[in-house]
Amino acid sequence: MPSEASSDRRGRQKLDRETVNTLVVFGLSIVLIVCSRFISPALGSWSQVLTVLILASFLIILSFGQGLVILIGGLDLSIPALITLGGVLTTTWVGTSDAGVWYMLPAILAICALVGAVSGIGIVWLKVPPFIMTMATSIVVASVALGYTSGTPRGGSPSALLWLMKAWFLGVPVVIYFTLAFILFGWLLQNFTALGRRLRALGTNRNAALIAGVGVNRLELVPYAVSAACAGFVGMMLVGYSNGATLRMGDSYMLPSIAAVVIGGSSILGGSGTFIGTVGGAILLTTLGTMISAIGLSEGWRTIIEGGIIVGALLVLRGEFLTHIGNRMLTRGK
Amino acid sequence: MSAIAANPAPRRSPFWRAVISGTGIVALIYVLLYALYAFWQPDALSVYTFTDLVNNSTPLALAAAGETLVVISRGFDLSVAGVVSLTNVLMAVYPLDGPGGALVSLLMCCAIGAVVGMINGILVARLGLQTIAATLGTMIVCQGLALVILDAPGGMVADFVTYTLTDTLFGVVPIAGLFLVAAIVLWLAFRRTNTGIGLYAIGADEQSARFSGVAVSGVRITAFVGAGILYGVAGFMLSAQTATGNPTAGTPFLMLTFAAVALGGTPLSGGRGSLVGSILGAGTLMLLQKVLFSGGVSSFYTGIFQGFVLVLAIVFGNTVARLLRKDDAR
Amino acid sequence: MSTDETRLAVRIAKIAKSYGPTVALDSVSIDLRPGEVHALLGENGAGKSTLVKILSGVVKPDSGSMSILGSPYTPHGIVDARTQGVATAFQELSLLPNLSIAENLMLPKMPRGMLGLASHRSAMAAAGRILSDYGLAHFDPDTPVGVLSLSDCQRLEIVRAFTHAAKLLILDEPTAALADVEWLFELVRRQKTLQTAILYISHRLGEVRTLCSRATILRNGRSIGTVELSGASDENIFEMMVGRSARETINALPKTGEAAPVALGVKGLSGGILSDVSFDVRQGEIVGIAALEGQGQRDLFRTLIGLAKARGGSVEIDGVRAQISSPGAALHFGNGLAYLPEDRKSEGILAGLTTASNMVLPIISRVGRSGIVWPAGERRAARETAAVVDLQERYLHFKIDELSGGNQQKALLARVIMTGARTLLLFDPTRGVDVGTKQSIYEAIRKFAADGGSVLFYSSELPELVHLAHRCIVLYGGRIFAEYQGDAIDEQTIVGALIGHARGAKTGVAA
Repeated sequence: MPSEASSDRRGRQKLDRETVNTLVVFGLSIVLIVCSRFISPALGSWSQVLTVLILASFLIILSFGQGLVILIGGLDLSIPALITLGGVLTTTWVGTSDAGVWYMLPAILAICALVGAVSGIGIVWLKVPPFIMTMATSIVVASVALGYTSGTPRGGSPSALLWLMKAWFLGVPVVIYFTLAFILFGWLLQNFTALGRRLRALGTNRNAALIAGVGVNRLELVPYAVSAACAGFVGMMLVGYSNGATLRMGDSYMLPSIAAVVIGGSSILGGSGTFIGTVGGAILLTTLGTMISAIGLSEGWRTIIEGGIIVGALLVLRGEFLTHIGNRMLTRGK
Repeated sequence: MSAIAANPAPRRSPFWRAVISGTGIVALIYVLLYALYAFWQPDALSVYTFTDLVNNSTPLALAAAGETLVVISRGFDLSVAGVVSLTNVLMAVYPLDGPGGALVSLLMCCAIGAVVGMINGILVARLGLQTIAATLGTMIVCQGLALVILDAPGGMVADFVTYTLTDTLFGVVPIAGLFLVAAIVLWLAFRRTNTGIGLYAIGADEQSARFSGVAVSGVRITAFVGAGILYGVAGFMLSAQTATGNPTAGTPFLMLTFAAVALGGTPLSGGRGSLVGSILGAGTLMLLQKVLFSGGVSSFYTGIFQGFVLVLAIVFGNTVARLLRKDDAR
Repeated sequence: MSTDETRLAVRIAKIAKSYGPTVALDSVSIDLRPGEVHALLGENGAGKSTLVKILSGVVKPDSGSMSILGSPYTPHGIVDARTQGVATAFQELSLLPNLSIAENLMLPKMPRGMLGLASHRSAMAAAGRILSDYGLAHFDPDTPVGVLSLSDCQRLEIVRAFTHAAKLLILDEPTAALADVEWLFELVRRQKTLQTAILYISHRLGEVRTLCSRATILRNGRSIGTVELSGASDENIFEMMVGRSARETINALPKTGEAAPVALGVKGLSGGILSDVSFDVRQGEIVGIAALEGQGQRDLFRTLIGLAKARGGSVEIDGVRAQISSPGAALHFGNGLAYLPEDRKSEGILAGLTTASNMVLPIISRVGRSGIVWPAGERRAARETAAVVDLQERYLHFKIDELSGGNQQKALLARVIMTGARTLLLFDPTRGVDVGTKQSIYEAIRKFAADGGSVLFYSSELPELVHLAHRCIVLYGGRIFAEYQGDAIDEQTIVGALIGHARGAKTGVAA
């Protein structure tokens, strides 16, 4: 082993990669909003910014769950199905009647979380790869939703959700306050709690976390349950937003939920990333989406751009990955 | 070097090894299932029913065959969904009739698959991305392209393709089946090339393979390109089946290919398995669906069935792999 | 030493290699003559493996030069190195378990048959010829490598290297798992007569003296010097390896009472290759496990901490019968049991997290304030124990992968101490760390025991067992072969017991 002076020279950098990435993503969002004025005068106005933020709030909440799953090195492909499940159960079980809304909504979230936990059980105990297990859960849930509603969900939104999505307070929509609170909560949970720290340890190196005394098996269920609950909640928000549910209401959210996390600086291999970065990624993606619609590009182009962004972000983040591999080879050499 | 037994396991004859390999097991399941099907529906033994079954299974079988190449090299390829959708809409939007047109279409499908596979291979082998992440990206881009070309289901596939490829040769041999036979023959030749043996080597242990002189990135890129070409042919055959274009035609393939691969005895952890098993696995999945839904279960619940079969196939594959680990059978 | 380069088989001059901030090789120079068996000696982490990778063409050096028979040698890869006559039997074995013996021997190019496809028959024939040529005629070339014993795998790895090595053969710890070393010695002597230079890496000095004429010693990535083995004593060599004589570090051992309560009681434990192992570790006692590679020490530690299932027997922690299912559960049996794993990188550190976070992870729920864990709080919690293991406080907010291996090891030791467990299981606690760090680690372990804690440790280095252990248990073939107490623990005695023989037996026979 070389002397300490030579090998410990790197020290703490003032700005680590995560911070830089977060700043870049937020910066890009602002630049985009400003630039969008050139495309259409309606863009970039205060009300337009608020609209973008409302649309971004769906993605922010979804990508918190997806982010936790990616943090432990997994991938959740069941998000669209759980959005639909949350939405359909809300309109059919509660609906406009508001019957028992105060315990029904939490109960629906609990059901969603349970579905997520089932995915987790398949991944941990049946050793099914995460993307396959969540894909299987997804198709089962979608099928149940289809069968349950016979193809056409009925019912409207409970008034509480209408209030959440439509009401304003001090010139700002209520949902934005809610999202800000959620961001604070998510950021603290992921980066400054024992749970978040353990999840990060699990994602960094499952084996080392196990040996350090972390109960990895049960812990691994948590992100899947949280992600499913977040998706279910977004389903409820969408019900409030459009006053109804459809079977395809979640379809367009799967790729953005992954893209937001990856753009936000999390490693797809797990073990790194902050929720603040993910929030930046979600806002950037939503801004971009709004611009694409304004230019009049079709759904196809939008998808291509999203795919390109995911690959581009992965390539940019790869530098870190390569140093990681370099270190690993070094240890093998020792 | 994980699976080193303290004592050499008893050797088994090649025949016995083939029988208890994943391929042997799935072949047995297929035959039993077919017998059951014939028991319930006596016309199952007719040429018509068999041709129909082969036609239905071919696109999935080819896609699963392609996926197998990547899985053996220890990777996952999600781009299958994108390539199948993209080639399907191209077939429907730009139909080329006649045998010459069919050949050009086929080559075009192969070329698209090869390009996507090459991009995947470069992203993974040269640029160091994880297979799931890289192929997720290419899948999305391909699906986007498919939507740009055709934004809603529609279009018409050339009649020659539709009729000829679903027909039989001499009234008994399904033409679609010939594609499968061709894929199997090519595979059997490929696994006796240096690259083919290298494929198993990098799937078992990339570092050891490198230390043994295997050109790791070259083999990995070959696997992705080969897979892409097979997805292209799968898209071609799917178009012949459906006779129309659908920009999301490939989406169901994503799940079903992995189920077919696992059912065919190729463990998702790499280094083992066979393309033949995956083709039989795909056939078994389609047959199973046929057997169960001939009973008249509401099609609303197809997804429940598929989800459970997927998980069960993986668990089954894991179990077989564990049982076979000591008695290596590639 | 000859200055005439053409008379040298291989010249390695001032080779250096860094990985990011870490220097693996600083400056290494070695000259090998044709037909010479040259030993490469050095502690774990001295840079031997990096040098092997550079010579094999796996890794490119940052600077320096290599030449073979006077012409420059700059391999582009492992195949290129082979075509230039350089081949390596790797310590970590580079065989593919899912391929047959023949395929492994032929890789990466199979002999071709009809249609240009690989011919099974000619591969079998070619492999059969190679196997019988190297005295392994009883191997069936069609056997998958996965079913071979570790010893047979090692033989195959060696044979494969021999078949490609015309000018330079590198044998990296070739006897680590070898059952029959005479077989290898015979092959080495035969290869010598073909004027192949052989670089022989082993930590078994006896073997080295039998086979080699000269040895080059590596320390901290530098070649310290080349010695004629006939003129150098073990002490000289050891001193060159560690930088000073080890004898002076022996400390007086504190006496422990026979009456101290038993902290860890193991009765008839079986699992893996472990069979019927019984011993006690008392409070305040440090018990060392001595064993050659693969004698059951790994199974013992992994079973005790709940990473592997016991087949039989019982474990008591502080008098409580324990069924330990995981390391997390082990922390809470009796007064607790904590484990320092074998491989720092793959089982120990959590790269990307700060040193403080790594240290407090097992007790993270106690560090938080109303559920929130602030980085400053972690550092505060880690500070005291960091001092015990002599880890500088400024390192606590570094990411742990930016620390040297020695400091990482100190942090991991601090982690197990911080858990509050009163019994520690330490697997090779000083693997690959420098001498100064070793002393800090020894101090911390002694202090822990002096405060009434119990320690069970395994070490691959005999002097460490001699210095540290109050009692030493020798494992051989999964059983307790011998046990020594206090002054009876000396290197000579243990060396004999390690190989399952009385003192002075043939060296290096591992089952």
